Amino acid sequence: MKQGDLVIYEEQIEKIEKALCRLIKDSQAKCVLLVDKDGHLITRQGFTQSLDTTALAALLAGSFASTREIARLVGEPEFSVLFHQGKKDHIHITLVGERTILAVIFDDRTTIGMVRLYAKEASENLERIFSTVNRQHHQAEDQNRIDSDSEFSTSLENRLDDIFSDQS
Amino acid sequence: MASINYAFKEISCKIVFYGPGLSGKTTNLQYVHQKIPPQTRGDLISLATDQDRTLYFDFLPVDIGRIYGFSTKFQLYTVPGQVYYNATRKLVLRGVDGLVFVADSQKCKMDENIESFQNLAENLSEYGYNVDKIPLVFQYNKRDLPDISSVEELEKTLNPKRLPYFEAVATKGMSVFDTLKCISKLVLDQAKRKQLFPEREIKVSEAEKVSAGLDLSQMPQPEPMKATVSSSTAVENSTPQTVTTIPKKEREPLSEEMTPKETQQEKRLEIELDVGEITEEEKVKMDQTSFRESSTIISWSAGKSDKKTKSKGFFLLHIFNKLFKR
Repeated sequence: MKQGDLVIYEEQIEKIEKALCRLIKDSQAKCVLLVDKDGHLITRQGFTQSLDTTALAALLAGSFASTREIARLVGEPEFSVLFHQGKKDHIHITLVGERTILAVIFDDRTTIGMVRLYAKEASENLERIFSTVNRQHHQAEDQNRIDSDSEFSTSLENRLDDIFSDQS
Repeated sequence: MASINYAFKEISCKIVFYGPGLSGKTTNLQYVHQKIPPQTRGDLISLATDQDRTLYFDFLPVDIGRIYGFSTKFQLYTVPGQVYYNATRKLVLRGVDGLVFVADSQKCKMDENIESFQNLAENLSEYGYNVDKIPLVFQYNKRDLPDISSVEELEKTLNPKRLPYFEAVATKGMSVFDTLKCISKLVLDQAKRKQLFPEREIKVSEAEKVSAGLDLSQMPQPEPMKATVSSSTAVENSTPQTVTTIPKKEREPLSEEMTPKETQQEKRLEIELDVGEITEEEKVKMDQTSFRESSTIISWSAGKSDKKTKSKGFFLLHIFNKLFKR
């Protein structure tokens, strides 16, 4: 059940974003967010400037987590697709692999069928990319080092003192 | 667990405030939200009941800036403290990097503190985490109230391992930041121990461009084509699945007129496709709304241009594309 840290490298993010761009183009969605199940935003594409994507990522992960528990209670391992229908905008959420969630936000210019079809295709594509990420993570573990403990601590303490203070 | 994005040079850690109901977890977040510079934090999101009791979680993202070249972000969560909400409480713990146990110092609340701490250990173990291995600090809250347990009693009961603790009054902000600084440091120290921060500088070329939004250069360019199409609303009954199976690459420009037979029951709808010329009104519409495929600008010559009919128009387009392909 316990999973390690999620690590994304530059070459993977390029592939991921290419896949997301294609999904937007094909499905005619407004924007796409890729979120990990812990609520961290991995990346997003499309028109997200007006959205608080950090909060959206946390809420999407929360929504997916509660739905997973509902699934478990009714005897399903997981509901792999979620759909929220609004008056103007709708959200289609798909599970990608074991630990990421793909959320597609779209409006009436496209259809749920279109989004569903291309989201499934993108999800399979992303799953392949993520399996590469995991492999590379293990290979890269030995390469990452920090030389100076004191430099790190000083840098960190200064930042924390600057931000977490009672002066409003 | 922490999320590390080498492309955007970001590290994101999750800190959860745990504790019994009404111990002051949400108050801690509210104080942090109120006091830290607005540019370093996002909005405080509370999923609460009508009586302001946390139903699922409170969420506050905090960006502490660059550490070792990495933009470092904390996501602060609280859990619902009430025993009844254990199912949702457990979900918030998923992927936790650090914990603050907010205990209520009042003597009458000691049993609730113990029960909540045991519940924390149980819930963590369900995710395969060990409470002894996750950074944890204690906050003994409500020190300003009468009839409170002494720190020694609280330490003996809740914190036999002598982890860091703080005496706090969250409503007044006392020790709120001290607690947060301590847990932040513990979490990042652990991230450093786990070698999440790299020694070498990692090249980032596209990150900034990509984060700005969709790369429009990859979108299809408008194609010159003009056609007048007349059809009926009967097409609306076509299933979306049929439409979605048409790959865009295979679509051909509409170049001829097509007029299906009209029946008495069918309401006719005229659509004029004029992709080559985009009116000012349409340009404004495109700016106001978000991306739409540039090869399908539709101006309506009959019928109301409400969303439903626009949607019908797109269905028609796909159907006609399919027909012409054949």
